[in-house]
Amino acid sequence: MESFSDIYLNLSKKPGVTRFSDSGLGWKPPGGDNAATFTLDQTQFIQAQWSRAARGYEVKVLSRQNGITQLDGFKIDDYDRLAKLFKVWYAIGLENREHALRGWNWGKAEFGKAELTFNVSNRPAFEVPYTEISNTNLAGKNEVAIDFSMPGEGNDTGTNGALAGARSNGRKTGGAKDQLVEMRFYIPGVASKAEKSKEDGED
Amino acid sequence: SLNGTEEKRFKRFESYKRDNQLPASVANLGIVVDKKSLTVILPIMGRPVPFHIHTIKNASHTPENDFTSLRINFLSPGQGVGRKDDQPFEDPNAHFIRSLTFRSQDIDRIDNVTKDIQELKKDVVRRETEKKQLED
Repeated sequence: MESFSDIYLNLSKKPGVTRFSDSGLGWKPPGGDNAATFTLDQTQFIQAQWSRAARGYEVKVLSRQNGITQLDGFKIDDYDRLAKLFKVWYAIGLENREHALRGWNWGKAEFGKAELTFNVSNRPAFEVPYTEISNTNLAGKNEVAIDFSMPGEGNDTGTNGALAGARSNGRKTGGAKDQLVEMRFYIPGVASKAEKSKEDGED
Repeated sequence: SLNGTEEKRFKRFESYKRDNQLPASVANLGIVVDKKSLTVILPIMGRPVPFHIHTIKNASHTPENDFTSLRINFLSPGQGVGRKDDQPFEDPNAHFIRSLTFRSQDIDRIDNVTKDIQELKKDVVRRETEKKQLED
């Protein structure tokens, strides 16, 4: 068992404790509420990434059932311990993903397994899980608009307030103080009608 | 050669080189205007994403009852409606982020953020005009 404190789960308001063992990972909110523990079985793990995030460093786990799980607040020195435990217990690498910091708004939008990545100079600038997208449409010539799922109430976590306000899929943008509601891209060569997709943002 | 007829050229710019240069205030998952680095940092799915002031066209916010919507428009090709579209781009065939809209209940802070972005943009444009006048 390896334990890390001051870790935020899925943009939770408060930090909790996350623990890793050979069976998977768990996250406990502050205040010792043992009933409300988030767990993810290691058989679900597909991929794990290490990046700089808002609170500190982030471990992002892509899993079969839960899609993207974000754990933010690790220290840079935690990397070696985490990379080792992912290798030994889960037989997967903790991929170090350095994000673009150039401040450019041009690059390449790429569609991965679970998320849309915007790459700047071959480095990801940000990712958007598909679960967070409520609608896309062709807003104009060469212009694609993406709308994000917004809880009716900005403070609604989608988890009945449990897990210290950690967000469920489809509610993640609500975890920020300033909540992203729409993103528009200029895509050269987009002429035909964009596919209108409505994804199920509810759990 | 320095003459007025020379075509406008794209000048490279960079917000940060390393992640330890990001201001500590990005931890609040709110919008941060880093004047020193000429950069606006926007929270996108828990990640602080820098946008250099040179990529920003304008910013405005529209207050509703208990929240406000801030829209940031970025420079991208094909926007020169009604005037000459002579904005140079490093790669006009790339994908561009054209706008980002944020909702916030913190209306006063967003009002300040909007003003800070507008002023930073104005300062940069003014400084470039002055520089160009010196070169001419």
